[in-house]
Amino acid sequence: MQTLAWLVLILPLAGSLVSALGFRALVRVSPRLPGVVGTVAIAGAFACSIGLLVKLQDLPADGRQVVFSAWDYVVTGGVDARLSILVDPLSVFMALVVTGVSMLIHLYSTTYLLSDRGYARFFSYLNFFVFSMLVLVLAGNFVILVAGWAFVGAASYLLISFWYRRTTATSAGIKAFVINVVGDVGIVLGTYFIFRHSHTLDFLGTFSQADKLPQGSLTAGLILLLVGAFAKSAQIPLHTWLPDAMEGPTPVSALIHAATMVTAGVYLIARMWPLFEQAPGAADVGSAIGLVTLLVAGTIGLVVTDLKRVIAYSTMSQIGYMIMAVSSGVYVGGLFHLMTHAFFKALLFMAAGSIIGAMAGEQSLDRMGGFRRAMPFTFLCFVVGGLCLAGIPPFSGFFSKDEILSFLGDRGGWYWALYAGGYVGALLTAVYTWRMIFRAFFGEPVPEAAELERGHLHHAEVHVNPANGEVEDTDVGFPGPDHHIAERSLPMKVAMGLLAIAATVGGVLQIPFGATDAVDRFLAPTFAGSRMFEGVHPSDGLTLAGMVLGAAIGLLGIAIAYHVWVRRPGTSAAIQARFAGLHRLFVNKWYFDEAIDALLVRPAAWLGRFFAQTFERLVVDGTLVGGTTGVISAASATVRRLQSGFVRAYAALLLVGLVAVSLYFLLQT
Amino acid sequence: MDIGWYLAVSAIVFAIGAGGVLTRRNPLVTLLCLELMLNAANLALIAFSRMHGNGDGQVFAIIVMVVAACEVTVGLGVIVAMHRRRLPIDVDELRELHG
Amino acid sequence: MTVHLSILLALPAAGGALGALAGGRAARWWGLAGSLLALAYAIVALVRFHAGDGQQFMTDDMWISAIGVHWKLAIDGLNLGLVVLSTGIFSACTLWATSHDWDNPGLFYFWLGLAHSSVLGALLAQDLLVFVIFFDLMLVPFLFLAGIWSPTPRADRIRAILKLFVYTLVGSLLMLAAAIATAVLNARGGNAISFAFSDLSGTALSKGSQEWIFLFFAAAFLIKMPAFPFHGWMPDGYVNMPMPVVAVFSAVLSKVAAYGFLQIALPLFPQGSQHFQMLLLLIGLASILYGSAMAFTTTNTRLVLGYSSMAQLGFIVLGIFSLDARGAQGALLQAFNHGLVVAPAFFLVALAAARSGGSEDLRDMGGIAFRAPLMATVFLIVALANLAMPGTSNFAGEFLILLGVFKAKIAIALIASVGVVLASAYSLRLLIRAMHNRVGPKVASHEISLRDGLVAVPLVLAIVAIALYPQFALHRSEPAVDGSLSTLPVAVAEAGR
Repeated sequence: MQTLAWLVLILPLAGSLVSALGFRALVRVSPRLPGVVGTVAIAGAFACSIGLLVKLQDLPADGRQVVFSAWDYVVTGGVDARLSILVDPLSVFMALVVTGVSMLIHLYSTTYLLSDRGYARFFSYLNFFVFSMLVLVLAGNFVILVAGWAFVGAASYLLISFWYRRTTATSAGIKAFVINVVGDVGIVLGTYFIFRHSHTLDFLGTFSQADKLPQGSLTAGLILLLVGAFAKSAQIPLHTWLPDAMEGPTPVSALIHAATMVTAGVYLIARMWPLFEQAPGAADVGSAIGLVTLLVAGTIGLVVTDLKRVIAYSTMSQIGYMIMAVSSGVYVGGLFHLMTHAFFKALLFMAAGSIIGAMAGEQSLDRMGGFRRAMPFTFLCFVVGGLCLAGIPPFSGFFSKDEILSFLGDRGGWYWALYAGGYVGALLTAVYTWRMIFRAFFGEPVPEAAELERGHLHHAEVHVNPANGEVEDTDVGFPGPDHHIAERSLPMKVAMGLLAIAATVGGVLQIPFGATDAVDRFLAPTFAGSRMFEGVHPSDGLTLAGMVLGAAIGLLGIAIAYHVWVRRPGTSAAIQARFAGLHRLFVNKWYFDEAIDALLVRPAAWLGRFFAQTFERLVVDGTLVGGTTGVISAASATVRRLQSGFVRAYAALLLVGLVAVSLYFLLQT
Repeated sequence: MDIGWYLAVSAIVFAIGAGGVLTRRNPLVTLLCLELMLNAANLALIAFSRMHGNGDGQVFAIIVMVVAACEVTVGLGVIVAMHRRRLPIDVDELRELHG
Repeated sequence: MTVHLSILLALPAAGGALGALAGGRAARWWGLAGSLLALAYAIVALVRFHAGDGQQFMTDDMWISAIGVHWKLAIDGLNLGLVVLSTGIFSACTLWATSHDWDNPGLFYFWLGLAHSSVLGALLAQDLLVFVIFFDLMLVPFLFLAGIWSPTPRADRIRAILKLFVYTLVGSLLMLAAAIATAVLNARGGNAISFAFSDLSGTALSKGSQEWIFLFFAAAFLIKMPAFPFHGWMPDGYVNMPMPVVAVFSAVLSKVAAYGFLQIALPLFPQGSQHFQMLLLLIGLASILYGSAMAFTTTNTRLVLGYSSMAQLGFIVLGIFSLDARGAQGALLQAFNHGLVVAPAFFLVALAAARSGGSEDLRDMGGIAFRAPLMATVFLIVALANLAMPGTSNFAGEFLILLGVFKAKIAIALIASVGVVLASAYSLRLLIRAMHNRVGPKVASHEISLRDGLVAVPLVLAIVAIALYPQFALHRSEPAVDGSLSTLPVAVAEAGR
């Protein structure tokens, strides 16, 4: 078991190193080889994760939390950070989701990125990302957690800036990285607050004394941990990097910015449940922010025209659900939604990548339309993803979302607000998702779609950056001259097909009323002893009512979208004109970027300029250094005047001195 | 003979040398005057040596002579080099090293 | 085999001197041999070092008996890492320098060797006066290295160097006065006068004298680091040195100052240290914020690294003056890490400049990564280490530092953590604007040569190795750090727990 656990980590790392160090040799053998190496490495890790799952199920239920330590990492003065990993149902669950989805996305990428000059680099980064994510979910103490946390941030940065000749990509990368570092710092400081009283960095050691930690420190520490979770999971107000992160290649958006990394915050809160249950104040902060993000992102999703950004805002909004769920104690619901969301959101992104391929890099919904006949497979995948997202039975999203909401309803109190807000969010979700589908696939075929129907894939004459219209530097660091669509590529088709199946039937794992509840039973050892997990059980009536309501709202949303964008195509313009103020607010993303810019970035830049241009010159260089050296040189100037250079003057001085000394002694006697 | 006479001669020679160093601008003459001063000192040393009846003073005097010889060698060399480079032979002009 | 530290100390200078005698093309190989031998010898010492045995490989001879000066050298947990670091960095930078044809190479390598020896002397010294002598001697070779071989116009350079020299010398003179005062005041009780640390520790100085003596030492160390607001010499100094020299200067010399705090200021003047704890913490904090802001603003790559070093040294000061074992451990680890990271950073910046038509300005760079993937990878690792990404040893250092400060003064730790965020901004800005984005106007990129790889790759491997196993360093320094904090008044040590 120990070997398997370490292999899960080592295989992706090895894949990354092989692609990174041996890229010339690999490409010489076959241009696809780096992709194959990367995919095989992840498949190996997936197999090992399954092995772990099996071994874990063999253990008795109360012994399913195993810690393996490799060596001392930082052990000094009471700090006890070893290089240790924690294998328990939760971490294995996460490892399975991560490696499983990654494997398919690697497979997809072997074709999608084929004409990119950075093919080997891409797989090296992607494998490194999987390694980092596994470090994060398997970490056995806070230090290793933070290391994994930062590694995924770095991998995310590298992949966002993958097309590094685009200034939009590099600035999006630095933005994502810096905001993620804010999150890292939050976790580190939060760790200090907890460590101050627990005197151990080890997870299990900390949890075992959760009820002895003082309330104040614990709440402060957990809120700081939440800052980390918000930064990584793109929750308000640390979300602005996620839409910009769509600068990365589409498989990256699918893997990192939809399926895995951005859900790390959910994992963190679920992992820290023993602490959050002791500090309900902090947990409520998480729930509230989750709800706000859910709604704000949903409204922005309604008006964004960039295909990938629509899905990005949808991701934010869905993570809002999960954060709200795990913060409110609905651990299994949140994690189950994490899993189904990974399936259908990765699927949607892959399908979006396929359309973007057909549009030769263009991402604006305004330019798309009528792809239904040209790309039937992609369309099918979009529909499956859209039905999941809208929560239509029997697709997986239906079960996961309704589990969260019925638990929230059962908790009562102010959780009713979350319950109601969740359904409002569900309506928004259905509308914006199907707006996207209707706009891309229905209506008159655009020239690119018509061209494809005639059997020819559109290619751009001049490659331009879709974000700012800048002409690409086609040397390197741009998506490459060729485009790939699922209809014409077997690996892409296989990857999307498998995900579509998983997204469709994934719900069977957790059918309520005791029908399967497999996820629930599997995760039970991790949450043993939790008041929420063991104490909150919605009645069958509430569950059933919720399911009916959820399905109805989903259908209503689809109907609204159909009405507005297919049946009466002018309606959306009319609504925009009617609610111009609101529309402006949404299009400008609630002015978060502007607010952060005005409140933080510009004052900091001003301060930096003030330091550089005024303070440095006047105070540091002028007064301090200038003062010290000035005094010294003034003194030396005085003394220097004696050194006239007249030898005879020196001689005279010598003589005068001699005579003076002689006289002194003569007069003494 | 009384030591006073020797010392008087020594003092006069020393004063002549010192006056020369202070007043003359030609480095050659300055060197000559320096020699005068050194020899005045030598005279005093030998006089005292004789008065005390031991040879220490004479040893000193010989060392001073050696040093003086070295100094003249170097000094003359410098003056010749200056002449070759057509620099002014004047100690007041040569004040590059002033502060 | 016993390690003789006097030999270690003499090796680089001897290599340099032989190089000066040989002159011409052979000089570089003598200089390189001297520093490589020192590195090998330091590694032998590292291998034979036993954590927990206190001072080892001791050399102790009476040097000037009249005033009690001992020729006393030893390695303990505090200086072990820094000795290895400085020999390693000097070796790498000497190797780097050999790829360049300097005028009068004999003299160049002589000064470089002498600089190496004097740094080692300051690190190894276990006698206050020997420390002061080497601490001042350290600066002299750099004066000549900057004055003779700098690429900048002569008039600017002379002015800048004079400024550097005068300013740092003022600090050094304060330290000399303080050192003499320490020995004299210690000898007042009827003891024989002595400058050896071992005779001075457990000092009987009154609180009042401790305070002013501590301030004098602190001034010298803070200027040398440099810390805000004593860094005025730094921009001029950094711009006016040849690249390999500025790399050594930044990587090694500032660490001697940080080491001085731990080895001298804390154990000898515990009450003074405690009295001025808040002041020093604020100076560290100001250095972090100010250095970060400046590093983010300037476009001169040397100064980006210079100000970033200033911010990192701010963290080190914070760690030391948390007066907590973890903070001090972190500070020592961070001193090692920073040296290890900043030297290759300067090297890479020099390589980038060579590919940008010789310009060291960020505005002229860009797009170097393609054609030079290995260089881009190395640059990336160095940039990530520089911003103390978790998982690197720099993070382990900063983690311990902030933990120590957190225990001592929570508010300062919270504000200092802003510096961590800023570090990520300026490090990535350097990486992106040099290596990524559109190709700069004068850029002609190509992969790094084998010789350049020989300089950069070992350093990067060392960064990766220590990132995987920082405990290697922490384990060896722990007893010594505890010892250096042990004389602090109990109240502080307890409050820190």
